[in-house]
Amino acid sequence: MLVVDDVHLKYKTFGGKRRTGSSRLPGWARGFSQGVGAVDVVHAVKGVSFVAHHGESIGLIGHNGSGKSTLLRAVAGAMPVTSGAIYTDGVASLLGVSGALIKNLSGERNIILGCLALGLKPDEVAAHYEEVVEFADIGDFVRLPMEAYSSGMGARLRFAISTAASPDILMIDEALATGDASFKARSQRRIDEIRARAGTVLLVSHSMGTIKETCDRVLWLDSGVLRADGKPDEVIEAYMETQRAKVEASKK
Amino acid sequence: MTSAEPVADGQGRLPDEVGLSLKEIAESNGLRQVGGRPRLGTYLAGLWGRRHFAWMLAKSQAYSQNQGSYLGQAWNILNPLINAAVYLTIFGYVLKTDRGIENYIAYLLIGIFFFQFITRAITLGSKAVVGNTGLVNSLQFPRALLPISTVLTELLTFLPATVVLLVLVPLSGEPFTWWWLALPGAIALMHVWGTGMAFLLARLVVEVRDVANLIPFIMRALMYFSGVFFSITTYAGSGLLGTALAYQPVAVYLQLARTCLMVEAEPSATLWLAALGWAVGTLVVGFLFFWRAEAKYGRG
Repeated sequence: MLVVDDVHLKYKTFGGKRRTGSSRLPGWARGFSQGVGAVDVVHAVKGVSFVAHHGESIGLIGHNGSGKSTLLRAVAGAMPVTSGAIYTDGVASLLGVSGALIKNLSGERNIILGCLALGLKPDEVAAHYEEVVEFADIGDFVRLPMEAYSSGMGARLRFAISTAASPDILMIDEALATGDASFKARSQRRIDEIRARAGTVLLVSHSMGTIKETCDRVLWLDSGVLRADGKPDEVIEAYMETQRAKVEASKK
Repeated sequence: MTSAEPVADGQGRLPDEVGLSLKEIAESNGLRQVGGRPRLGTYLAGLWGRRHFAWMLAKSQAYSQNQGSYLGQAWNILNPLINAAVYLTIFGYVLKTDRGIENYIAYLLIGIFFFQFITRAITLGSKAVVGNTGLVNSLQFPRALLPISTVLTELLTFLPATVVLLVLVPLSGEPFTWWWLALPGAIALMHVWGTGMAFLLARLVVEVRDVANLIPFIMRALMYFSGVFFSITTYAGSGLLGTALAYQPVAVYLQLARTCLMVEAEPSATLWLAALGWAVGTLVVGFLFFWRAEAKYGRG
């Protein structure tokens, strides 16, 4: 179970700055503010609240930059909330497209490290190892560094690691997009297993098909604000409506 | 699964939860809050629970440091050997700074190798949190594992260098004494001090990233103030300045290693006490300083 209570998320980013307010400055001063003190604060999530129950599978939709991934990171405890609070009753595991593990290390090492970081004991890791390798279906590549993997292989391995520890809350951030059909079927089975054990699944995807297949509830985030929360068909329909309007507008 | 039908109030509350605040729902279901700073005891227990992760991460990183080349792990031995050859050529034959030291080769080698460990532990330790965003952003674990594991990585790469040292030092004419057996103790104290420094600096760099840009300059200054190439007492005398320089931590650990391996460096209880004091003091202060900001790590 998961309760998200009026959560705001801000993070600092280094190396660039949006031109708000300073656009009236002369050109040289604008250049200076990009080169020195180029630190900006992004307010990614602005007061989101919802309750997720045992066995629910919830889809998060919204256009790029609407705060979906940031929200998942906060639920996973990987990013602190700026205000508000998040409550859970179990272990949360986040499966992202990028980053998760260490790319200059072999798949083998990444499996062991990932499982240990998720809190498994060394003997439990040994017990899960074969299962993870088999699920990821990467063959000999398990001995090569992860930077040599195709994006689909990386996604499969990360999915296998994240679900090895049987999390109570599984969050999947676009990680199913790069997989092939057989992997999609296997991951769907894993997700169903987790839900059957009264776990909660949160899924971010831009594929409305995936969302409809997997989720029984959908949240629509728009610029960090929760725009809709309800049955998949209704929310997706409303979301697609605005997307179509945007596409039309860009054609003109 | 059947009870989980969402209701239309937009927050997914079940009918018997409507009217309660979200906090009350969380409390009535026995949920706990995500994030925030755990209490010190809980935090230490969490660290202990994930000790295998820190050890495995250190081992893997140490291993991968040299994997990106044809000679691979052979560089663990080649690196310190080439390093020793370069410094011996520069300082032994070109600059001639060996006044006041009988066995300058041993003196220099110990200084260079130990100082290199300290430099790497401090430089990489300071980036332990900001340099591991991949791990920090996707997994929840006590962040103190990162500085611990970074310095441990450096200790593991330092061990082959110690083996090289244990071959070269006798070749330079040092006899074996029982003090050699105290060398692991000296290394352990230096390692503990380095971990403390990594805690301090890792948080400072999270708060103000620019601190990381200043560290190379501080390390360069320390190289000249710590008796890496020459004896501090020869240059700064044994007055107030000389004593202050000789008892700053970097100089203490270099000198301690020399008292273990060189006959001309007299072992002293004061030196061991200073080494122990710096190690424990820095570790405790650094750890508490790092733990107090636990809730901040990961906000960029």
